[in-house]
Amino acid sequence: MTTDIKNYKDIDISKITGDKKLPALWHLMHGYHLNFIVANLFTGLAALARTGMYLYLGDFIDRVIQSGIKGSNLFVSALSFGALITLQALSSFISSWMATLTAESATRRLRDYLFDHIQHLPFAYHSEAKTGDLLERATSDVDTIRRFFADQSINMGRILMIFIVSFIAIARINLRLALISIIIMPIVLVISMFFFKSLSRAYEAYQEQGAVLSTNLQENLSGVRVVKAFARQDYEIRKFDQENLKKFKLGKKFVWMHSLFWPLTDILCAAQGIGSNYIAAMMVINDAMTLGQFITFHGLLGWLIWPIRNLGRLIIDTSRTFVSLGRITTILKARQEDMTSASCEPSESIRGDIKFENVSFEYEKAQSVLEDVSFECKAGDVVALLGSTGSGKTSLVNLLPRFYDVTAGKILLDGVNLNEYSRQFLRSQIGVVEQEPFLFSCSIRENITYGVHREVSEEEIIAAAKEAAIHDVILEFKNGYDTLVGERGVTLSGGQKQRVAIARTLLINPRILIMDDSTSSVDMETEVQIRSALENLMANRTTFIIAHRIQSIMNADLILVFDQGKIVQKGVHEELLNQPGIYQDIYEIQARIDSALQEEIDRVNIL
Amino acid sequence: MPCKRKLIVSTYYDENELDDEVHLSKGVFGRLLKLLKKYWILVFCGVASIAFVSWLDAYFTMLNKQIIDDAIVTKNVSLMIRLFGNYSLITLVQLAGFFVMMYSVGLLGEKLRYDLRRDLFNHLQKLSLSYFTKTPLGWIMSRVTSDTEKMADLLTWGITDSIWALTNIGFAVYYMLRLNAQLALIVVLSLPIMIFISFKFRVKIYYHFRRSRKANSKMTASLNENITGVRIVKALLREDQNLKNFKVLSTDMFRESYRAGLLSAIYLPTIQTISAISLVLILWRGGNMVGNSLISVGTLQAFISYIMFILWPIQDLARVYAEMQNAVASSERVFSLLETKPEIVDRSEIIPTNSLVGNVEFENVSFHYETDEPVIRNLSFKIPQGQKVALVGTTGGGKTTIVNLLCRFYEPSEGTIRIAGQDYLNYSLEDIQSRIGVVLQIPHLFSGSIRDNLRYGRLDANDEEIEEAARLAGAHEFISKFENGYDSNVGEGGNQLSVGQKQLISIARALLANPNIFIMDEATSSVDTLTEALIQKGMHQLMSGRTSFIIAHRLSTIKSADQIFVIEDGQIAESGNHQELIRKRGLYYNLYTKQFRHDLESRLDPFSPTDAVESPA
Ligand SMILES: Nc1ncnc2c1ncn2[C@@H]1O[C@H](COP(=O)(O)OP(=O)(O)OP(=O)(O)O)[C@@H](O)[C@H]1O
Ligand SMILES: Nc1ncnc2c1ncn2[C@@H]1O[C@H](COP(=O)(O)OP(=O)(O)OP(=O)(O)O)[C@@H](O)[C@H]1O
Ligand SMILES: [Mg+2]
Ligand SMILES: [Mg+2]
Repeated sequence: MTTDIKNYKDIDISKITGDKKLPALWHLMHGYHLNFIVANLFTGLAALARTGMYLYLGDFIDRVIQSGIKGSNLFVSALSFGALITLQALSSFISSWMATLTAESATRRLRDYLFDHIQHLPFAYHSEAKTGDLLERATSDVDTIRRFFADQSINMGRILMIFIVSFIAIARINLRLALISIIIMPIVLVISMFFFKSLSRAYEAYQEQGAVLSTNLQENLSGVRVVKAFARQDYEIRKFDQENLKKFKLGKKFVWMHSLFWPLTDILCAAQGIGSNYIAAMMVINDAMTLGQFITFHGLLGWLIWPIRNLGRLIIDTSRTFVSLGRITTILKARQEDMTSASCEPSESIRGDIKFENVSFEYEKAQSVLEDVSFECKAGDVVALLGSTGSGKTSLVNLLPRFYDVTAGKILLDGVNLNEYSRQFLRSQIGVVEQEPFLFSCSIRENITYGVHREVSEEEIIAAAKEAAIHDVILEFKNGYDTLVGERGVTLSGGQKQRVAIARTLLINPRILIMDDSTSSVDMETEVQIRSALENLMANRTTFIIAHRIQSIMNADLILVFDQGKIVQKGVHEELLNQPGIYQDIYEIQARIDSALQEEIDRVNIL
Repeated sequence: MPCKRKLIVSTYYDENELDDEVHLSKGVFGRLLKLLKKYWILVFCGVASIAFVSWLDAYFTMLNKQIIDDAIVTKNVSLMIRLFGNYSLITLVQLAGFFVMMYSVGLLGEKLRYDLRRDLFNHLQKLSLSYFTKTPLGWIMSRVTSDTEKMADLLTWGITDSIWALTNIGFAVYYMLRLNAQLALIVVLSLPIMIFISFKFRVKIYYHFRRSRKANSKMTASLNENITGVRIVKALLREDQNLKNFKVLSTDMFRESYRAGLLSAIYLPTIQTISAISLVLILWRGGNMVGNSLISVGTLQAFISYIMFILWPIQDLARVYAEMQNAVASSERVFSLLETKPEIVDRSEIIPTNSLVGNVEFENVSFHYETDEPVIRNLSFKIPQGQKVALVGTTGGGKTTIVNLLCRFYEPSEGTIRIAGQDYLNYSLEDIQSRIGVVLQIPHLFSGSIRDNLRYGRLDANDEEIEEAARLAGAHEFISKFENGYDSNVGEGGNQLSVGQKQLISIARALLANPNIFIMDEATSSVDTLTEALIQKGMHQLMSGRTSFIIAHRLSTIKSADQIFVIEDGQIAESGNHQELIRKRGLYYNLYTKQFRHDLESRLDPFSPTDAVESPA
């Protein structure tokens, strides 16, 4: 059994994403072409054996009738007939075997490729894409392609072989009869081509609507809390029903077209069969043909018409495959993020000097998110970002690991333009605690070690958890670190999730640490705990902190105040405090509350 | 601190996937047939036409025999013309039958698919939150998308194929017996062997097939999670590891499908070889008989046709039988989803109400999630109509859980919650949830425009009202700066907006609902101080007259509350207003002053009134 897979890197994407669909399908089988050809050859052989059976059968009957062979002679003849069947059986076995091997291997590679491709697509792609839609394409459409490789493409060989062999065999009996027997072929072809167009359109619409339904369902399920919170079940039901009904109608149309197509071609084929049989029968009556020849012809005719009839089906099935292939290649056409190419490949860790020079950034054309941002910090500095909602803080820190690239200006890391490092390298040096923590549905331990690509000792895990002030909480769960968290971490509270995410990043021990509003759901007391643990950790690494509370950032070496994508103030706490501006405003609001609290505390203490 | 608890996660979604012997339980079949009842006309058309088509398939062979024996051999031209005429007529009739079958069965399939999807979706809307917490999303998705397909296939083509096959075999055997009993016996004897082998094979093949289905659903789940978490995957450079994990799954899938395919590749030729043996026997015996003029050439030809043709119905039957196991398993999964009782339902007698104005009261409320370990313990409080209550406390204390109870996402395991003097179990879920406006801790938006998302709060809100709510929530300013304003797309889950923006839109959405009770679970945790201060006034005004619950960690948000509850380990550890709590010097005091003490230790306190800045008034 050859079950080795060829590396998926064997496929050359440019050959798949071209306009020509058949070469693309051919290329998807790369590395299994030999198997594919063998499969097709053996279907041919099977077809040959089958035709042989009919020839033999005719011959046999003629001899039985004319010479009256009897006894053991007859048995031998019968046996050779059996041998032909066995040959046919053996060939069809080899053919299906090779076909399965080809189909399963090629699809497995395609699946791996798609998985890897999707996870290497840039952030920008994912923020537009719909999960339900991607899933539908990576599962249902891939399966359509698998079926094509397993059945339909092998049928192509079979159809061709059977057709040629049967035609030649009939032609040897009577050429004219053979020619008469294929007059419907062009008509079937024309009809199939006609249906090809409209059926593939119908199928595409049907498939797309399937994706709409999946997306609809996916959104409904992932937003189930919101649906319930607003008691919008009826609304959702109506919305789903609309799309569902649309799919039903498209399906009905599809069924209607099929019900027209099959009987229509079948009528033609039946007419052909009856006509040819009639002519042949007349020939026997007119002694232009023996009875045995007629029986042979009768058998063969079925195998001559069968390919014609199936050619139509093949064309229709191929149209489906083309639709699915098209849906897959739209994903494949999207450019992957280049993870490795770099003109600067430091052999060791970075220091962490960072300089922004007139950096501008936009997600969509002409919608500037960051404008002309310049600042500088030294290795080991703590840079704090403060600013209004949507002012571009998250966007700015997302530039560092090159989740997005700057639109204008440049960022220097250790004096080298960021674009010269590979993304792979940068991401291995930078740890981000995301603003909205995402946990995977596995144990807490696995979540904490998710970002380290080596064996991690229990002590290290515990140390990270302690720094994130989550260790004690974990211990109180019955299964401790082996506690499973639900999808996205739903079975943890908001603050618990954030702290697991912090522990996950701390364990990586990155040179540059980014904390994006990562204690927003944590109470003051715990935050203080985390902050003091971080103080040691931040000592010799460049750290970016995004926070809204002055308390959390006032010790920073550099504070950047953002407003609408621009740095409106920068400096250290004391400087900013004395400038009129946003910082002072924020400070005053917070200080008002805090000083009031202070007064109250003092009052309490005096009492 | 939270108590020890076992978290229930995705344990039961594997259960049904791999039981090898599927008991074709009567219950399932009964329910399947019930699905068909509504469409009995279509079913009748399908079944009648398929039986008809199948009978004619077997009859054609007889016709051929007649043509050979009676017309060709005897050279009777006029009879031959008549026979061919019949042949054509019957063919036409058969094609008409074929058309009826294609259309009615196809249509039936689409109708069943539609029904099943609708029923599942409608049922899913009724299920309680706890169900969605423990059931992976991918699992539910595959129930609705792929299992329904399989069920519909079973009910349409599965049944069609088996009826066709059974009729075909039946008629073939009948005609053969009529032609020649001795030869027919050879065929009839070989039948059980073929059928036996077929079934053995198919069971094996589908054993692997089902395993490949399982691998498939795992692959889908892995893909789903990798897509939803792709940002983290990239940030943590997990691509290689994840691909490696995925390859394990896709290799499983490959192995199982390959084995199933290989077995199929052996199966058909095996059956063919067996039929070859009976064919050889028939040729031998039949040849002798023809030689001895015991039977006609046409009869021999008919036998050969039948035996070569009978392979197909047998193979079909075996396939349907095996697919049936799979489809029955699918049906069981679908039915089990449909049978899952929502944990939270309206009581049999409900008091209709269109307002929840009144006091909110918890009386000895205890609650636990899936396990017995309590999250909320014996909680009692009473909030007069119109008061603003703040819930604070260390994370994991149970604040969100209280919100979940209040919104009746979950119901108390013990104790009573009363709203406006009534046990809230006496109201309908819809009445409660449409009267309570809640801003959830995790802001979630649906893909679509900002306007659509806001309108979710009140479906008939007009554009002015939407804008008004957005203004109150401090969202109008940034929305109007977008190029497309309120028509800007937010992306899946709202991921094209900043987190703070999502929170503001969620607040506006809840405001638009114009609720009697307003709940904000850390609704402004990612909103900057200035925006927060800006919206606070509006919110204050809005909350006056409404009972409201505020969960927050920021002092600014909670200070003005009429009552503050410090929730610790599922209980109210302290309560009172801000001043009272500070004076108590207890938990609350610690929670909010620790930072000062910490800062005092590390450096000079920046917020002391004597600092550089003038003491703010
Ligand atoms: N669906 C669930 N299943 C099981 N346990 C849960 C579930 N949701 C929450 N918990 C557990 O219940 C406890 C209370 O959680 P809850 O979300 O109410 O805390 P919280 O006070 O809102 O915390 P935070 O301030 O961090 O949001 C936590 O220990 C949490 O792990
Ligand atoms: N993927 C995206 N596609 C398009 N626009 C985006 C995307 N992500 C963010 N934006 C827009 O860019 C702007 C800056 O967003 P960003 O997330 O950087 O804000 P932020 O400063 O982090 O805000 P917050 O404090 O609320 O987290 C916002 O107006 C937001 O709508
Ligand atoms: Mg942000
Ligand atoms: Mg919470």
